[in-house]
Amino acid sequence: MLRKWKSAAAGLAASALLAVLPLAGASAGPVYDGKDVTVIVPNSAAGTMSRYAQMLAPHLAKNLGADNVRIDNQPGAGSLKGTNALWNSKPDGMTIGFTNIPTLLIAQIAESPGVRFDATKFVYLGRVAAEPRLMLVGGNSPIKSVDDIRNLGRPFVFASQGTDEDFYTMVVLASALGYELKIVTGYEGEADTSLAVIKGDADGQMTSWTGSLPQIQAGDKRPIVFATRERQDVAPDVPTAIELLKDETKKGQVEAIADILNLSRGFFGPPGMDEAAVAEMRAAIEKTLTDPEVVKEMAAKDLPIVFAPGEKQQKTVGQVFAAAKDLTPTFKQALAQIK
Amino acid sequence: MVDAIWAGLAALAAPQALGFMVIGVCYGIVIGILPGLGGIVAMALLLPFTWDMDFAPAMGLLLGAHIATIWGSSVTSILFRVPGAAKSIALIFDGFPMTQKGEASRALGASAAAALMGGVIGAVFLAVSIPITRPVMMALGPAEFLMLALWGLTVLATFSEGSILKGLAAAGLGLLTAFIGMDLVTATPRFTFGSIYLLDGISFPVAMIGLFAIAEMMKLFATGGALVERDLTAESSSVWQGVRDAFSHWGLVFRSSLLGLWIGVLPGIGASVGGIAAYAQALRTSKSPETFGKGNVEGVIGPDATLGANEGGGLLPTLALGIPGGEGMAIVLIAFIGLGVVPGPKMLTDHLDLVFTLVWVIALASMVTAVIGLIISPYLARVPSLNNNIIIPLVLSVCVIGAYAARGQVSDVIVAAVFGVIGYVMDKYRYSRATFVIGMVLAVMIERNLHLSISLYGDWFIFKRPVAAIMLVFIVVTTAWPFYRNWKRDRELRKLALAETGRAT
Repeated sequence: MLRKWKSAAAGLAASALLAVLPLAGASAGPVYDGKDVTVIVPNSAAGTMSRYAQMLAPHLAKNLGADNVRIDNQPGAGSLKGTNALWNSKPDGMTIGFTNIPTLLIAQIAESPGVRFDATKFVYLGRVAAEPRLMLVGGNSPIKSVDDIRNLGRPFVFASQGTDEDFYTMVVLASALGYELKIVTGYEGEADTSLAVIKGDADGQMTSWTGSLPQIQAGDKRPIVFATRERQDVAPDVPTAIELLKDETKKGQVEAIADILNLSRGFFGPPGMDEAAVAEMRAAIEKTLTDPEVVKEMAAKDLPIVFAPGEKQQKTVGQVFAAAKDLTPTFKQALAQIK
Repeated sequence: MVDAIWAGLAALAAPQALGFMVIGVCYGIVIGILPGLGGIVAMALLLPFTWDMDFAPAMGLLLGAHIATIWGSSVTSILFRVPGAAKSIALIFDGFPMTQKGEASRALGASAAAALMGGVIGAVFLAVSIPITRPVMMALGPAEFLMLALWGLTVLATFSEGSILKGLAAAGLGLLTAFIGMDLVTATPRFTFGSIYLLDGISFPVAMIGLFAIAEMMKLFATGGALVERDLTAESSSVWQGVRDAFSHWGLVFRSSLLGLWIGVLPGIGASVGGIAAYAQALRTSKSPETFGKGNVEGVIGPDATLGANEGGGLLPTLALGIPGGEGMAIVLIAFIGLGVVPGPKMLTDHLDLVFTLVWVIALASMVTAVIGLIISPYLARVPSLNNNIIIPLVLSVCVIGAYAARGQVSDVIVAAVFGVIGYVMDKYRYSRATFVIGMVLAVMIERNLHLSISLYGDWFIFKRPVAAIMLVFIVVTTAWPFYRNWKRDRELRKLALAETGRAT
């Protein structure tokens, strides 16, 4: 009797399990079930980009139902090398990428050597984070506003690491806001440009808000203007470049660069990526990045999540690209100035 | 302040923290010994393990590994002429000749002791230097960094082995190699022939693996014999001899350590340039500069003390300005942020105990490294005299792994092999590989800082920057002095000879 009861219970449990299983499978989806996914990160293994990817990988694997999500660091040529590799990868969905999307767009708009891809044809899968960038001057600088820069009576000396997004953002800001720029490029990193600005060797630099927070708090740097569409909660008194502009063309240019920067860190796939895979991947990324547990865990590691869905990113890339085509001459002119 | 010093030590005195520090040190020595891999890689690999740890054990593990790579990298430079990392390049100049003379144990001992003393002096002076960090950082800039690089260039003459022209040709080749890739100012591709791989330039550690390690193995294969002819020169030294050397050259250790501390402070001067500057300093202040490059222990002590003190220096700009002094310290700062501590001047008032925990880790990890180093040195010193059939495959396979691991690219292995051939040919026809490397390291620093100086201060920047101008005068005088002395001596000899012949006729 007892035995009979036991087997009935076992049967019940088994059927309950069977009933649950397809449900779990449905959320994971058939494409990635039990597969290995490779995420190409075209940045160094030691940087923030890789930390984001490494931390998210196990959660993503769980939500995909994949066996494993593996991070493959392929740094080089200012993240163009790994991106080129993704461009040429098999679009079956088993290889995707994760990096700072603005870098790719700007490299293409500026027609940089080493670009072997068309950024509009990548499949965007979801934004992970957004870090608003802003222009700062030294704490001892007489400059307190954009007006002060215009009335400087000499070019504004901009300390730059090279021809990165910050370089091109500053160029667009200067041309739109109407001040002359003297670009001093070749600094080794943000520590060097920061030092140059604090010392007064250079007037200003571009960084993220968190990147300059200790110096802002200590009074060594002063925020001047954000390169975003809206004012930021962290610094409500600091204006955006867009609100200082009236001319519609100029406004459009700054909006284009703000939108590009706002794409920030995100997942993306090769052109023509398998549609079923795209749908599953976007769903899994959304599930991962909207999971309160994950958001909390990442915030504790100082890796904040600011999610935006892949479809939206895809649309933005298309629009931004059309608007930003006008920027190519401005970019080229700035390059000619430093050459 | 005294409370904070003790609190910092107490946090580290827990068994868990000490245990992780020892693990970090052992791991760091191994990573250091592998060519191409240095402190940054060691820390980056360990970082994920520290996320749930307390501050003291996490720092013990991370910084302990970073500090230990210094001596680990020196080991292979001294024993095989294979720099374990870019920063220990200066150790091959005199360390390997010492091995050839049968003084490997002495060199390893001196290296460990100098790195220890550098670490401790760096840690002590770290605390003292906090108030002057800010003014010094404000006073020095690209123009002064340029002068420091020029000072490094003056050691070229030492390695030109009789022919200045050959030495300069090799340095020029190094310079050209450094120019491969996107230039630092405008990102214009140079010498890349449309290759995407070459856009990133030739990786310095990879080139070194080829130039020295692979070339040395090729030579060994071609000529037969052993790396060190033990039949001719028996290993005659002891580790303690090296330790005594380091202590008896305390003046050199002290100068080198302070140089290392300040090179660590300044962002924009890496440890590899620091090692060469330390070597230049040891050479210029030595009583017997003519024996440099031929196995002078001072050429080992100087760079190692500088590298030992370098790490502590990286902490200072963080405390003064919230800016990391180098890549290593930037990784350490990630751990701070994880704890909710914003790195910056506020740490001095709010978290002084954490600051002192770091200082203690630097000092104690240096000691643990030195103790382990002194214990294993006598065994390591025997490795170069192993049979060729063992040593060539062993070193070559480590080289190939090292070349691949540095950036994870197979192309790097090919580049290492190409540089192996270049190194072999250079050695065969007596073109100094040391000057090649110095040219390659300093080219980037000179180009960057010359460009920045001219952009910021104009073409005549040297007259607008008094500190740089004084440094330039100092460099010219110290470089010209030996030439003047020789010229004067020759003239007097000639006079004497003339007088002799005059008397004879």
